[in-house]
Amino acid sequence: MRVDAVVIGSGAGGGVAAAVLAEAGKRVLVLERGRDLTFAEIGRDHLRNHRLTRYPHRSGPDYEDGPRVAVDATGGEHLVRPHEPGFHGNATLVGGGTRLYGAQAWRFLPADFTMASTYGVPAGSSLADWPIGYDDLEPFYERAEWEIGVCGDHAAGSRHWRRAKPYPMSPLPEGLQAAALRRGATALGWDVLPVPLLINSVPYGGRAACTRCQHCVGFACPADAKNGSHNTVLSRALATGRARLLPEAVAERVECDPSGRVTGVRWVDRSGARHVVEAEVVICAAGAIETARLLQNSPTRREPHGLGNNHDQVGRHLQGHAYAWALGEMDEPVHDGLGPGVSLATLDFVHHNDGLVGGAMLADEFTVLPLAFWARNLPPDLPRWGARNKQYMRDNYRRVMRVGGPVQEIPDPEARTRPDPRVRDRWGIPVARLSGTTHPETLRTGDFIAERAREWLLASGARRAWAARAPLGLHAGQHQSGTCRMGDDERTSVVDRWGRVHGHDNLYVADASVHVTNGGVNPVLTIMALAFRTVERLCAEW
Amino acid sequence: MTPGQAATLGAVVDTIVPTDDHPSGTEAGVLDYLAGQFGRDLAGLRAFYEAGLDAVEAEARERHGTGFPELPPGRREELLRALEAGDTRVPWPFDAAAFVETVVGHVMEGFYGDPGNGGNRDAASWRMIGFEVRD
Repeated sequence: MRVDAVVIGSGAGGGVAAAVLAEAGKRVLVLERGRDLTFAEIGRDHLRNHRLTRYPHRSGPDYEDGPRVAVDATGGEHLVRPHEPGFHGNATLVGGGTRLYGAQAWRFLPADFTMASTYGVPAGSSLADWPIGYDDLEPFYERAEWEIGVCGDHAAGSRHWRRAKPYPMSPLPEGLQAAALRRGATALGWDVLPVPLLINSVPYGGRAACTRCQHCVGFACPADAKNGSHNTVLSRALATGRARLLPEAVAERVECDPSGRVTGVRWVDRSGARHVVEAEVVICAAGAIETARLLQNSPTRREPHGLGNNHDQVGRHLQGHAYAWALGEMDEPVHDGLGPGVSLATLDFVHHNDGLVGGAMLADEFTVLPLAFWARNLPPDLPRWGARNKQYMRDNYRRVMRVGGPVQEIPDPEARTRPDPRVRDRWGIPVARLSGTTHPETLRTGDFIAERAREWLLASGARRAWAARAPLGLHAGQHQSGTCRMGDDERTSVVDRWGRVHGHDNLYVADASVHVTNGGVNPVLTIMALAFRTVERLCAEW
Repeated sequence: MTPGQAATLGAVVDTIVPTDDHPSGTEAGVLDYLAGQFGRDLAGLRAFYEAGLDAVEAEARERHGTGFPELPPGRREELLRALEAGDTRVPWPFDAAAFVETVVGHVMEGFYGDPGNGGNRDAASWRMIGFEVRD
């Protein structure tokens, strides 16, 4: 088979890439390792979902596909299955994480692109500025907001970002959590804004509005009102007739000719049969761990450690977010049964906190599953079982509110993914071997953020509140990023400012791998915006 | 599982989620959930459960001279709390506290999980706490 472009991964970056390419007249093949699952197949299983996973996933990665190897602080190696802590996975199905996500649609703040020059570089970290800034991405954030569909408050957002155009939809109506948090923020003098969401607050894009159900994050949308790759850009790509989507197709190796020019992709189907698709351009959008793994598993004579990896940068600086939280037991019930739940945020502590590097957006939490509430939301002094536990669940499920946010991680070059020398997946491909932790500096910021969350809850009517601090560890998971960082110097980065792998004219990365730092907010809108920018430029120069 | 082990399991479940004006663990179908899971995700833990339940039973006989299910609820809770704290009086094939913690986790899955998994009959726990479900 021969196409103009192969896109590996159908999530936030891959979907955008496929649409821009196909609409520019290119013939595109999208390889997606996950399955094409229906709403019913994904289900509303409280024990097997991407919010609370007690047993093997229903929405990928499949248990049988293979483990990863986690290396702990003392060098101990652990085989980790996809549903177990330490795997650091993301949903693996058509649409990727966007099929199931909570859909928070934050733009990175201008200072998120200039972390090193704003704060200096903590010892031992690889904190760096991006080669591009907010203004470079602004038009593409706007495209993502309109073409994928975001509801939000333009006036409130304009206090934080230069925004040329309003959101296409106004925010969802606020509920009891937001009402309480607005009172608290007023008392504290904090600025708040509705959380922008890739969710239809009104019918948009030919699909219905959100029905405010209680199974949002971690689940597929019953009303198809949650906007992801699968129902926007991927559909657009397929509608051109020039794009083809292959689910259950695992990219094994990016093929190169002796000059280093990429010639195509070798992939494996469900039966284990190998295929090669030839292409003019290859775009990796498999997520920070799998994109790095694919490049590393594609060594050549010129690049014996994998494509773009002659300076040992591929797979390093692995990061996500170290979430810091507080929980508050409110005087009045705040659970109103209206999803998605997350509603009101403050950006007052994302940057410029005295003596700290970075910070985090703070917001309330999605509607919490009862079992997740039992597992994570109970006060630390409550017995874990027995009559008092049951009574507390009954009295306080509707009162306990969680506030927290994604603490910007300080990248560490030793936090990394490499191909494991021994363990292979079901297709015989070396699996990812994860090691290192976030830089300890991150935890100082996290403690401060947890304390602000606690303060907000107490000001909002909590009769008691307790913090849930971020632990030292690897925090990749659903917000994984940083493994193919963008930069002008090929010795310290993997792709250039246009997403092209150094030394390869026709190999691109269009996922969060390229993030130099990952912002103090959820990263998905930035992945989409960067993919628009990267692939629009690629098509313009084709 | 022997009838004795099954009786001990039921008593353990109802000690973890006791009855009040809402259903207990067994009344809400936690045993149905566990039975399903012993044929599925927890198939590898059947021997662990059986040995642990035998040990709980032996602890009751050692401490009180009677079987665990025959103990009054307060004594049953006291015994499980002691095991959770590592206070054992008979030999255990594994860590008693880890056994209690594991069983507590599974019981809560059966009690607060979705009815589609075989427990939480008629969504009893969801109605108790006020978790509503719509499409």
